[in-house]
Amino acid sequence: MKSNFSPYVPRVATLVNKRELSDFVTLFEFAQDNGWPLAHRPGQFIQLSIHGVGEAPFSVTSPPVRESHHFEIAVRKIGSVTSALHNLKVGAKVGVRGPYGSYFPMQKFVGQDVVFVAGGLGYIPLRSVLHYMLRHRDEYGRISVLVGTRNPSERIFTCQLEELSQRDDVAVHETVDEPDEGWTGNVGVITTLIPKIDIEPSNTYVAMVGPPVMYRFVLGECRKRDIPEDRIYVSLERKMKCGLGKCGHCQINGLNCCVDGPVFCYTQIANLPEAI
Amino acid sequence: MTAYTVYLDQVDGLLEKWRDKYDIYVPQKAEERFYEFRPWDPGTDIAWDYDMAYTPLKRFFLPPEEDLIKFDLRDYTASPVIQAPKQLLFGVHPYDIKAINQLDQLMDMGSMDVNYRKRRDNTVVIGLEPLRVAETAFWAGVNASEVDMGYDLFWTRISPGAFYVQVGSGHGEELLHANGKVVEASPAEKEAARRMHAETLKAATPSGLSFPWQDIPKVMEAGYDSPLWRERAKKCLSCGSCNLVCPTCYCFDIQDEVDDRLQTGRRYRMWDGCMLEGFTRIAGDHNFRERPWQRYRHRYMRKGKYIFDKLGELGCVGCGRCVRACTARIANPKAVFTEFWEAYKNEI
Repeated sequence: MKSNFSPYVPRVATLVNKRELSDFVTLFEFAQDNGWPLAHRPGQFIQLSIHGVGEAPFSVTSPPVRESHHFEIAVRKIGSVTSALHNLKVGAKVGVRGPYGSYFPMQKFVGQDVVFVAGGLGYIPLRSVLHYMLRHRDEYGRISVLVGTRNPSERIFTCQLEELSQRDDVAVHETVDEPDEGWTGNVGVITTLIPKIDIEPSNTYVAMVGPPVMYRFVLGECRKRDIPEDRIYVSLERKMKCGLGKCGHCQINGLNCCVDGPVFCYTQIANLPEAI
Repeated sequence: MTAYTVYLDQVDGLLEKWRDKYDIYVPQKAEERFYEFRPWDPGTDIAWDYDMAYTPLKRFFLPPEEDLIKFDLRDYTASPVIQAPKQLLFGVHPYDIKAINQLDQLMDMGSMDVNYRKRRDNTVVIGLEPLRVAETAFWAGVNASEVDMGYDLFWTRISPGAFYVQVGSGHGEELLHANGKVVEASPAEKEAARRMHAETLKAATPSGLSFPWQDIPKVMEAGYDSPLWRERAKKCLSCGSCNLVCPTCYCFDIQDEVDDRLQTGRRYRMWDGCMLEGFTRIAGDHNFRERPWQRYRHRYMRKGKYIFDKLGELGCVGCGRCVRACTARIANPKAVFTEFWEAYKNEI
């Protein structure tokens, strides 16, 4: 062991771009000062710190790109670190540890249809998977993207979703729980979108991320469509503090979400009452 | 394993010698019926017959608060802080050594905890056969009456003036000879140490469990959805005292602090506890274990089942500290395990 090594020492990254995605959520683009790619895999998270304020875990929302040392996170202003983050100006420095945790099985997805089920901010980690697949589009089968948000003002990445829906190799279905006057799309919870898509159970993977309450209902729909449990992947949010499987905050029964997750095959957690 | 005989009048000389290199801590009478590991100075009264140290010895490896990095806000540099004083714990009981062994495994597992490891490597552990059993202890029931590893030396008092000292590591043996030669123990002295241990067991066994500890993970699993959890946790104040005094609890929080000119700062960890209300709360105020009974259950599942699944032994060493620390008088692992065994023994 190198005597002076500590996994708690963050690398430095610089904020290079900042863009509002909704009234609550902002997209932050960082560049690693060391010039190297973050080298994450879709679904992994980082511990981002603002010195003096603290650290918090964030899913990486950009896909891994070998030749780029830039990466993106999308953040809702909700706590001390996220508020400080929103106050940063382009050019500001942050600390980065990771990437940490498990990731979506991009190899298993090869040649398969993939259904994305994104509830609210769940689109953020799934976007990394989706954009990775779009970069390697010919390796994958049909791609369906189901997005549900509480109301139209909470929709994020709207322009990209618009672009996606223009493509003929991606099916996008959106819904909101509570429409406003201008909303002309689907209304209802996200499960109402599932009957709209063709599913070949033996050739389909489901990747879903959303608020805790969403999973049980979507799982029920998947069951109705005969999708085997080992073809369902979820990413679970917990309070990761260390990211190293030590601090205990992210325990789901006997598992540590930061190292055993955050991405789980449903069979891994089906019998864990605390999971979903 | 090699063993030596050390006489009581040699002890002070050895400790004095060791003090050149180590901060030495020994069990001492703290207040009334409480004992604590405190620094040793010549003349210190060692509580040879202490029953239990009030605070857990994890504090020597995972201090209540510990710096992890220091950073500079001006140029955004950060550097590791890994502090590890050379320390020697003299007189550690087997259940506490078992707890240290367990922390060793958990902190080394996966990504090694470098701060813990450095402190552990710089610590000499000298074990001591207990002469008394704490009122709240039940270590005899949870396989924590003896340990085969985790100590550099293990001392058993075989007569008012003599100790049988088992060697646990080369470093321990070297330390034992730091003041000149000590005599190897005779077979009779070995036998005397065995007898002492048998007596300890005899004294401790009645306070143990009335069923095999191996049943505990099974009844914990069977009783996961039991109404007993709510019932037992009714009085829980969510104060986290049981976490803090537990020798095998190691959860921590990480915080930042900056100087008053906002130029430099530190990121440090501090003990945290799964019984505290905000332990699992995430952004947006969602709390995964919102109710006290959910947290109470998690703690005992951890001690009785989850750690067992990882290591093959209980996460509870039966020291009895939590029993004593709990103001609501509900943190008693023996009572919990027994109640669940009674309720679910037929389902396992």
